[in-house]
Amino acid sequence: MKDIKWLLVGLAWALSVCLVPQAALAGKVQITWWHAMSGSNGKVVDAIVKDFNAAHPDFELKALYSGSYEETLTRYVTAYRSKTAPSLVQSYEVGTQTMLSSGAIVPVYQIPGMVGEKWDWAQYVIPITNYYQSGGNLWSMPFNSSTAMLYYNKDLFAKAGLDPNRPPATWEELEAQGKKLLASGAVKHALSFGWPDWQFEQMFATHNQLFANNDNGRSRLATKVLINSAFGVKVLDMWVRLAKQGIFIYGGPEYSANSAFQGGQIAMLMQSTSSLAGITKGSKFKVGTAFLPRLEGYPSGNSVIGGASLWVTKGQSKEQLRAVWAFLKYLAQPKVAVAWHKGTGYFPAVNAAVADLLNEGWFSKDPNSLTAFLQILSGRRDTAAAAGVRLGPFVQIREFERTAIEKAVAGQLSPKAALDEAARKADQLLADFARLNP
Amino acid sequence: MANAADQERFPGHPLLPYVLVLPSVAVIGVFLVVPFLQSVQDSFYASTAFGTNTIYVGLRNYERVLASSDYRDSALATLLLSSFVIVVGLALSLAIAQLLNQKIRGQGFYQVAFIWTYALAPSVAGAIWALMFAPATGFVPFVVAELFDDYVLNWMTNGDLALLVVSVAAAWKMLGYNIVFFLAGLQNIPEEFVQAAKVDGAGPWRTFRDITFPMLSPTTTFLLFVNTIYAFFQIFGLIDIMTRGGPGNATNILIYKLYRDAFLYLDAGAASAQSIIIFVVIAVAGTIQLRFATRKAIYAR
Repeated sequence: MKDIKWLLVGLAWALSVCLVPQAALAGKVQITWWHAMSGSNGKVVDAIVKDFNAAHPDFELKALYSGSYEETLTRYVTAYRSKTAPSLVQSYEVGTQTMLSSGAIVPVYQIPGMVGEKWDWAQYVIPITNYYQSGGNLWSMPFNSSTAMLYYNKDLFAKAGLDPNRPPATWEELEAQGKKLLASGAVKHALSFGWPDWQFEQMFATHNQLFANNDNGRSRLATKVLINSAFGVKVLDMWVRLAKQGIFIYGGPEYSANSAFQGGQIAMLMQSTSSLAGITKGSKFKVGTAFLPRLEGYPSGNSVIGGASLWVTKGQSKEQLRAVWAFLKYLAQPKVAVAWHKGTGYFPAVNAAVADLLNEGWFSKDPNSLTAFLQILSGRRDTAAAAGVRLGPFVQIREFERTAIEKAVAGQLSPKAALDEAARKADQLLADFARLNP
Repeated sequence: MANAADQERFPGHPLLPYVLVLPSVAVIGVFLVVPFLQSVQDSFYASTAFGTNTIYVGLRNYERVLASSDYRDSALATLLLSSFVIVVGLALSLAIAQLLNQKIRGQGFYQVAFIWTYALAPSVAGAIWALMFAPATGFVPFVVAELFDDYVLNWMTNGDLALLVVSVAAAWKMLGYNIVFFLAGLQNIPEEFVQAAKVDGAGPWRTFRDITFPMLSPTTTFLLFVNTIYAFFQIFGLIDIMTRGGPGNATNILIYKLYRDAFLYLDAGAASAQSIIIFVVIAVAGTIQLRFATRKAIYAR
């Protein structure tokens, strides 16, 4: 009996010795990265990390999938408060102000100076870096960037007697085509949205309208949202009108509406570009893509960048910071950025990668992955309204937007009343946030 | 300290009993009492997500929560949902258990067929119901549209419908569990009682009302309590998969709202205040239920 006990102890000891990371023995600098990329995107991340480690024998980067964006942020907050935060964390775009105000991070623009290097920030794609800039400098490294676009079913367009190569450019056209689609009996509803709250924000940005005061919360913390402005009410009024005609059907949050589009029950879907691979693969019809439809008579802005970026935790040793920087530089290498785009559908973040993709003829092979890229490159880059809104309690305010859209579409409240209610709640949260983050 | 009587009840070292209960007390202390006290403290503060700034706000978190229309809507939704789960769910379970208790062919098959829903993970159950009711692709909206002249059944926009669907799914999910207990309770009722009632000329309804139901009261009390806890807390998974509290917060029940405030919006103060409020409500409801029901319950036979 006693022998077995000692055997077990010995075994446990032997195991624990084996588990001591090889890297520590080899004297490598270890850094950890928490990310929220699962499924096929997670595999691409793993491949990048593996190649990085192979190319950098001094560093050992460990990438850990830490749940959804929300979960990753919550975990990061907890870890930071208990001083066990990873070197690098991926945070979604709505968490940007939270991270900026966190006091937990080093802005990426300061890192080259800290490790004694120089870096050319102009090599990144401007509409993407615009989103993550504060005071003219980049605070987090763009990683997986997407935007919204219009997907449409070419087969259903043809069935309804519409030109399958002429998607709607304006909401007026969309309404007319929607009526035809319904009248032809091809579909019962023509259009739905993914991320309806985000689509509402997109409407503001693509028409160069401010969503909140203080330059969309980009010059100082926003204290007031402008969602119940004349423009906001006009947009929601229009959506409700389309819903009453049966042209628009509200499809729920995030990706719930995708299945209706892929099943051919609706002919058009406004959704994130990150759905492109899934939609193309999962649909038995010809998928077309187009810019987000516009309202006539309004100035043009740009579509807002979504997705996530990478933030560097402060208080790391110089060696760790050097390792983190090596990785961030690695991500900017054209071949890495190209592989990332091809594997996931997210935008390549550096201009050189875009050039490589163009030279290679990638976009002519897959024109749908060019659509959204042209959309952001052809849009305005010089206004805060076009860069998109930045809010402290953004996640909550987005819920208020969604609730307002849901209530208005269901006929529970008028669009104006629904947006007023959302704006009142949002302003209170903004005031709370401003008080805590003076 | 230790008198003779104690010595007799607990032979051995006088401290032994305390040592023996220490592990349980320690676990409860570390995992329940300490976090609870922490929540009580947090509920009086407002703080940034990263804890960089914390302001004492007194009772403001409570005032805010109780004054907000969202919270009242959430409480109402919780009340409606839990009433449905408790009243309709339990009544249906009892009726089915009564039927399953008959000596019929294939009894085992029927029992399993009704009980298996409990073995489903909430995510699976939620996905099944969500797919069934998916506005554009689901089976139920399709049937409704065929039957009622293209009526659009869209629970993504219709809050009342969403609450009903979630309530039905929640009650359905709990059906198996309730049936198992009711079945066990029914099978424990001595046959003689029922026979005697029959001899006295009682019909099936009378037998049920005066014999079966009172004899089942310990089971019913237990299930009442379990279902309340279920409807308040464990429905979380279903809500998260099916509606995420929407549309228009129609299914944003208390526990889901608390989760979102704490882990999505990183507002520890408001979330702590809510958790204390739920704690008080559940404690009061539980005490009343137990008091009331145990007085009525017939344990002796």
